[in-house]
Amino acid sequence: MKQPLALSQSQLIGTLSAILAALFLLSLFIGSNPIPLFQAARDALMDTPSLIALIFSEVRLPRALIALFTGATLGLCGAAMQGLLRNPLASPGLIGSASGAALGAVCMLYFGMSAITTMALPAGGMIGALAATVLVYLLAGRDAGTLTLILAGVAINALALALISLLLNLAPSPYAVREIVLWMMGSIANHSMADFQIMLPGVLLGWFLLIGTGRSLDALTLGEETTTTMGISLPRLRWRIFIAIALAVGSAISITGSIGFIGLVVPHLLRPLVDHQPSRLLLASAIGGAILLLAADICVRLFPAGTDIKVGVLTSLVGAPFFLYLIIKSRRFVL
Amino acid sequence: MSKQLTTALLLLICTFPIQGGEQPNRVVSINLCTDQLLLMLADSSQIASVSYLAAESNSSFMAEQAQRHQVNHEKIEELLNLKPNLILASEYSNRALIQLMQKLGHRVEIFPLPADIKGIQTNITRMAQLLKQEERGQQIIKQMNQRIDKIIKQQPAVRPKALFYQPNHYTSGRNTLQDTALRVAGWRNLAAELGIEGYNPIDIEDLLMADPEQLFTSPYAPGSHSLAEQQLSHPALQRVTTGRKMIEIDYKYWICGGPMIADAIEQLHRSLPQ
Repeated sequence: MKQPLALSQSQLIGTLSAILAALFLLSLFIGSNPIPLFQAARDALMDTPSLIALIFSEVRLPRALIALFTGATLGLCGAAMQGLLRNPLASPGLIGSASGAALGAVCMLYFGMSAITTMALPAGGMIGALAATVLVYLLAGRDAGTLTLILAGVAINALALALISLLLNLAPSPYAVREIVLWMMGSIANHSMADFQIMLPGVLLGWFLLIGTGRSLDALTLGEETTTTMGISLPRLRWRIFIAIALAVGSAISITGSIGFIGLVVPHLLRPLVDHQPSRLLLASAIGGAILLLAADICVRLFPAGTDIKVGVLTSLVGAPFFLYLIIKSRRFVL
Repeated sequence: MSKQLTTALLLLICTFPIQGGEQPNRVVSINLCTDQLLLMLADSSQIASVSYLAAESNSSFMAEQAQRHQVNHEKIEELLNLKPNLILASEYSNRALIQLMQKLGHRVEIFPLPADIKGIQTNITRMAQLLKQEERGQQIIKQMNQRIDKIIKQQPAVRPKALFYQPNHYTSGRNTLQDTALRVAGWRNLAAELGIEGYNPIDIEDLLMADPEQLFTSPYAPGSHSLAEQQLSHPALQRVTTGRKMIEIDYKYWICGGPMIADAIEQLHRSLPQ
């Protein structure tokens, strides 16, 4: 499998999209009650007030949509980050953006800010994500090696998680402490269409900002100096990507909690299929991330009812061994 | 000299902890459920201390009365300082603490948590006997029964479907006070009909498929925010009850079983669709 697979970009995107569509549909089928899905969808579209339409439009559809958009965001942002930092281990989960976002969301939710205005929740997530990302970047320095970046990320991650625990212990709600695991592992169960609408604007804005960065990321593979001579402003590119990640990851994580490893694994798996070209990787990773999270969420729901396993547990179970594999592989090159 | 000795002996006998037939006059309760019964049944002079939860108005039905007494936090040193001659606890109180107090020679009475009207009556009767306030106990039971009987006579012919929904998807199935109260008030309890036993979570799809006409909730900490509490404002819940808002029944009516269940039943009855 070492030789590059002969797939054109459109073929690759087409295949991935087909898988994504199939998983999205499958996700809508899975629930505690077998419901006639097409009838339910028709009722929901025609505004017929039926119970199956209600389950379809208010329980299953938001769950599938949140999985799709969160997965895509994490995959896309992972690809953009790896391209920008030219570091195979950069990803929203590892360098602290995700836990920063969760911390920001926790500040807003448990102390009543999001009850005043619903947009406080994603705003908190965005600020947290941006602060964590920039902090790690500054801590590690501009030409940071893989190791330095990961260490800075570990430190910021630990700090954010400790603060989340502290805040949830101090929160006035008697239910807060039990929700620590939810913010640390992430869950896309039990959300409503309203939650999806809360995360959507930030996510779309973040994606939009990332659309034009592909060519600059391609140029960056030739080195920073070459990029600058090609007329690309590096500081501007950096800030553009950091802000895009903050908007998209911040909004998504403020609804789902910190879901790990998707941003790390997906770009790696797809990179050989796009000839290691960052511009082609962006879209492919977005679709790949959505596929991975939807598949993980479907698996979580196949466990017997009442087990309530968080989707982040599953992505970490897949992601952590992969992370180890990456470390071992990079050691071979270094030593 | 001998006269002084007799007086001293007499004094000693009088202040000796009273056991058996005498009315206990230094009663300490360490659990909200026994606190409330104690406050209802005992003379103020009998009560040495109630738990701190009894004075909190969100959880306690007797908060006002409790504030007149010293509160305890279920700590051994506190309890010893109070020199109790009767300690009241619930079946969910700290086991180790109870065993220690018993070992030190204190009388501890443990009350079960009732799940129906009969259990409430049993608890009231037993508490009244312990406090030597039988007459007051019978009076309270009589009043409660009268209020409940009045509601039973007014039950509708066709019972509408209802369900209790709490943060984290918890509902009240069979063998819970909420189930008893719903049925007495004239509702059907869908959670019990779905086979849920006690307090357990219900899947939101199951809830929607059961098609409740009214949802009830009992806020445990009104005004606080968490993901668990956010579940109660899921838009599907309002749509399934065709816009009828979830009705809040204060938790203090049934966090412990007591005669105040009649208040909750009356509230549930009043919220029946006309």
